[in-house]
Amino acid sequence: MTHIDIAADLNSEDETGLVWTFLDEATDPSIIKPGEFVVAGSPLTPAVCEVVDLVEKPAGTIVHLRVLPGTIEQFRRLLSRVGT
Amino acid sequence: MTDAREELRLRIRDEHPPLAAAAVIRGGPDSLALLQAHARRLNRLYKLDDAPVFGVSVFVVRDDLGPASERSILAAKLRSYPTVYRTTVGRLVAHGFDVLPTFTVPHFTVLIQSLDAVAELASAFGKRLINPYADGRGERL
Repeated sequence: MTHIDIAADLNSEDETGLVWTFLDEATDPSIIKPGEFVVAGSPLTPAVCEVVDLVEKPAGTIVHLRVLPGTIEQFRRLLSRVGT
Repeated sequence: MTDAREELRLRIRDEHPPLAAAAVIRGGPDSLALLQAHARRLNRLYKLDDAPVFGVSVFVVRDDLGPASERSILAAKLRSYPTVYRTTVGRLVAHGFDVLPTFTVPHFTVLIQSLDAVAELASAFGKRLINPYADGRGERL
């Protein structure tokens, strides 16, 4: 099962047109920074996303995500080719 | 005590309601627990007319072409979902759900009365279908 960095509903957009979720739904909130690539969604529906921004709101910190093209498997193959 | 939630009413678009036959699409798969988690997330951030609100996001097909077309929704908004649920506005309404045009086109929110209503919502969504425009579709065939 794919590890999820931050739980989100990738159907859920707000007025920005971006996917949103709460920062405290991240397994490690310290990695959720603008420009970082993370795996978001659910174990059933994971996707690689770019963290666009974090917005402080009274109800909690909102994370805006941009879903990137490609599947987790395609990203895995890419990383396998380029090495570390 | 001050309610920290924002008013969802301010995010509802002023537009003609969709036809009953309009297609409603949501990326999946979902489970009842996932639907409840998503509905709770909306409830945490928003209220509706100063009252608690639960809801789940969907996209509604409004046009034959452009961003609110079925193809665009499947190929752009839902490209990360290999499968989707596809129902109609009329079917959701017949199951007792309100469908509100929220945020930006073609996003809508299906309101649910309580977290227990997600089973009825799942029933209204029906079976999962293949998203023919999903990323990596070719490698999954």
